[in-house]
Amino acid sequence: MTAITPRRAPGMRLYVVVWIGLLLIVGVEVSLTYLQLPGPRLLASLLILAFIEAGIGVMYFMHLKYERPSLFWSLIPTLIFVLVLMDHFWPDALRLMHQRLPLP
Amino acid sequence: MGESAMTMEQSPYGIQSKKLAIWLFILADAATFGSILFAYGYLRLANPDWTRPFTFSPTIINGIVMTVVLLTSSLTMVAAVVAAQAGRQSASARWLGVTMLLGVVFAALHLNEWLRMIGEGWRLFRNPMGGSVLFGATFFGITGLHLLHVICGVIVIAVIAIGFRRGRFDAGHVETTGLYWHFVDLVWMFVFPLVYLMNVRP
Repeated sequence: MTAITPRRAPGMRLYVVVWIGLLLIVGVEVSLTYLQLPGPRLLASLLILAFIEAGIGVMYFMHLKYERPSLFWSLIPTLIFVLVLMDHFWPDALRLMHQRLPLP
Repeated sequence: MGESAMTMEQSPYGIQSKKLAIWLFILADAATFGSILFAYGYLRLANPDWTRPFTFSPTIINGIVMTVVLLTSSLTMVAAVVAAQAGRQSASARWLGVTMLLGVVFAALHLNEWLRMIGEGWRLFRNPMGGSVLFGATFFGITGLHLLHVICGVIVIAVIAIGFRRGRFDAGHVETTGLYWHFVDLVWMFVFPLVYLMNVRP
């Protein structure tokens, strides 16, 4: 028989704190946008904040923090690996387009 | 207990199979959104005449309100899951209703913004500001795919809420639906900064 034991989940108070934290991060993102930062720095800042938001959301709202570690280690590194592959190989595909031989 | 149930293997992750299935779906969907956001990034880099059309009012204000609505809907979804796991069926159904309502508000705000942009002359391959025509394609493509997820989520929540209230579904179904809804929320956490804030008019 499948032995599925529910792990202890936190109360609503923690979720409200997480929700407030996520709202604050959104506020920081909007503020950074109007600080006239250089494009690459703004992009890096917004991406870091978005990943922090996603991490908080996945761990608390989606309960990954309260599941068995094996679930985390099966899912998250896989996703990161796929995204890193996209990041590394897609620009290379664009470069190859420019290396095509001209038509005879 | 049937003999087949006695011989089943233990769940490797200690979760129900439907929960593992939705996690795998989320993984695949995250790769889908990741790929279109990467494509958007490369198209943007490849087009020096990229348009940055958004002003604080009305677009960014609208985006902030949409973000707050979606984040709040995640909180109400958590409340629905907590109530369902505690066996409080009517409370759970009520929170699911609030989540649906917030999802509908988000979709209405989104469609209102689309209509405003279409009224200004934006199309999939037309840029009324004279820059790269790919702005419309990426903007409507990315936000459209996300909006489709929101609309599907609202429909699924409605089905689950009715079924849970009638006793056809259990708390596991509510939790599984919640995972999907939180994922839709998390995707927006990337769409809002990358597609809206990075395109604020200088």
